[in-house]
Parts: sequence; structure tokens; C-alpha cells
Amino acid sequence: MDFRTQLAGELAYLRRFARALTGDSALADDLVQDCVERAMNKSHLYDPARPLRAWLYAVLRNLYISSLRGTGRSGVIKTVDDLRNGEGSVAPQQEDRLSVTSVSEALDRLASQHREVIVLIALEEMSYRDAAEILGIPLGTVMSRLSRAREQLRHILEDRGHQVLRRVK
Amino acid sequence: MTSGKIDDWALHAYADNEVSGEQRAEIEQLLRADPELAQRVESWRRQRDLLKQAYDGVLAEPTPTSLLATLRHGGGLKARPYLAMAAALALLAIGGLAGWFLSLQTATGTAVAGIAQQALAAHAVYAGEVRHPVEVRADEKPHLQSWLSKRVGTPFKVPDLTAEGYALLGGRLLAANGQPAAQLMYENAASDRITIFLIAQPQAGGTTLHVEQQGALIACYWRDGKLGFAVAGEMAREPMMKLAEAVYEQFES
Repeated sequence: MDFRTQLAGELAYLRRFARALTGDSALADDLVQDCVERAMNKSHLYDPARPLRAWLYAVLRNLYISSLRGTGRSGVIKTVDDLRNGEGSVAPQQEDRLSVTSVSEALDRLASQHREVIVLIALEEMSYRDAAEILGIPLGTVMSRLSRAREQLRHILEDRGHQVLRRVK
Repeated sequence: MTSGKIDDWALHAYADNEVSGEQRAEIEQLLRADPELAQRVESWRRQRDLLKQAYDGVLAEPTPTSLLATLRHGGGLKARPYLAMAAALALLAIGGLAGWFLSLQTATGTAVAGIAQQALAAHAVYAGEVRHPVEVRADEKPHLQSWLSKRVGTPFKVPDLTAEGYALLGGRLLAANGQPAAQLMYENAASDRITIFLIAQPQAGGTTLHVEQQGALIACYWRDGKLGFAVAGEMAREPMMKLAEAVYEQFES
């Protein structure tokens, strides 16, 4: 399978990762776009012995970091696709909506180093080793951040849970 | 891990399937003995489930056109939507694209999408048949192949999917919008069935891989030469992509 074919198979996962990492679908789409471009231009840097997905996540995450620093991109542009595809994905069941909204909001309240680690490990099911490589930090740091991220997410979700209950009453 | 007190990291590593064997069994034993610990691990599982619920929908979304254009173009273009769109249209004009990329959401896409609808509908009708799933059974494979090739109008080879764990059950002739089409049915050891749908195309040409999901059913489809193909079944996107790829390679060779 050539590189492009493999890359095509990773697009959906890249898009999910970008969406969860940024919480912003337009920004996420832009990042994926830039990431695919860069991956194709820099494919010689990819080591086929390592999982492609992890490499792509690292590329995308680096692009995101530089966009946050304001050095990379100028801004978010809405494309025709945004309008055609709509912003959301599948409409969740009414019952699920509260919790789904709350987990996205909860992620927004995490510090970025906690958010990225829990997205990589819990949502994207990356191994600790791959997460360490993607984030460029030691394994021990991955684990301590993960532990903290889960603890914080639990607090935030529990708080929300109470609010939701009160509202329902 | 001493005197029943477990290291916090070990617990996370357990929850993330980073430990195996003896250590895993040891942690499981501790969890059984300590409901509070078990509850912590459970809360992390819930977090994961919530994350998946919130973001897995993205996996089923159509891939933006500009992204596909970038993929086709080898990354030479800057990611400006209008340029990407122009590039996509130019490529379409050239036509005859061989390749194995995700779908281009364009006007030609709708004709190809019809293949998915027909394949999914036929799968839903026949894959559940216990006694008569096929018209011609696998033990008459040479006949099946020549008969369906003749009716569809283009010779094709019935793929062998044993490497993927699926055995041929047989096939049948279908009427799809007044046009003859073929359905090949396969079954794995767990009795899960998949079908391959083939139909002649008005114009020769190749497209990329498209995915269509309908409830629990999923179809991967494409056009290649004079035929349109679809693989349909009830499974997750990833295994279906793999399977479709195997089928694609067999038809190509």
C-alpha cells in the first residue's frame, strides 16, 4: 500500500483527533488540511516501522501548537464544505445530549496539556509510548498528566452532573 | 504495589491495557477486593465512553472535498479552498482516475452513491435468508461466475476471501433499477455475512473508495473500469475498509 493510500485511511481519525483536540470544527478541518499537506510533503520523514496514525497526530498537534502561538496560520476560514456538511455530525439522541455537551465543555475547561493527553489515550486509544512520542515528553510525564487529567475531568463532570439534575427538577 | 495499596499509575496502566499477564491478574484481584478502587477505574471507563460518544460521530462524516483534493494533488497546493476546488474539477475533467482514496463529494458522486443504496438494500433483503440466501451455490462457482458475468455484461472473477476469514456461499442475479446486477454472498466462522454487489456502469472510469452507513449496515463502494462495486455488511468502518481493500485488490488483478 502506498503512502497516499494509507493516508486516506487515516483521514477520519485525524479529523476526530483534531475535533477533540481543538473543540472547534472549522479550526479542526483547517488543521487536518494543513496536516495532510505537510504529511505528503514530508513523507520521507515518516518511519514506516512506527504507526502512521501516531506520526500524523504528532504533525497535526505541532501545527496546532504553532497556530496557538500565532506563528503558523493567520486565522480560520470557513469553506463551502463547512456550510454544506453542517457543523455538527450525527444528531445525538435527546437523552445523550446533556452528557455529550458536558464532556466537550469539560474538555474545554482542562489545561491544554491535560486535554491532549486524555484525548490521545482515552479517545484515540494511543499507547503511552505513542502518546509520549506525539507529545515529545517522557513516559512518566504522560502518566502523571493523564492521572491529573482524569481526576480533573471527573470533578468537572460530577459538578455538571449535579447542575443537570437540578435543572431537570 | 505493597500491602494492598496500589500505585496510582499502575491502575491507570491497567485501565489503558498497558499491563498484561501476571500484573494484570494481580490488579484485577485488588479491584475485586477494593470497591473504591474498582469505582475509580470504572469512572475512567465512563469518561472514555463519553468522549467516544461525543466525537466518534466525526468518523462517519463525509470527508471535505478540499481535503481530498489535497490528497490527490500530492500536497503541492496550498490549502486554499477555491484552489483545491479548481484542482478537483480539473481532475474530474481529465477523468479516468485510478486510485484508492475517499469519496469526492461531487455530482458524479451521486451516481456512484446509487451503487451503495442498491447494495445495502439487497444486502438487507438477502443476507438474512436462512434457507435460500443464494440462487447458485459456491459448489457451482465456475457456473456462477460465467452466468453472472454474462448477465452483468462484463466478465469478472469471483473473489476469494478466505484470507479474510470469509467463505463464498454463492450468488444471485438482482434487478437494480431495471438493470441486471450481481450479488455474491460470503460468510465467516461466526456466521456473519457480507455481500459484494456488482453492476455495469454507463461509462467506463474509476473512482475512489466511498463509504456509506445506514444504521448498523455499512457499504464501501467504488467504480473501476466498466463496473461499479460495493461491499456491504454489518460491521465497523475500519474492518469494512480492510475488507473492501482486499476485494478491490482481487478485482483489480
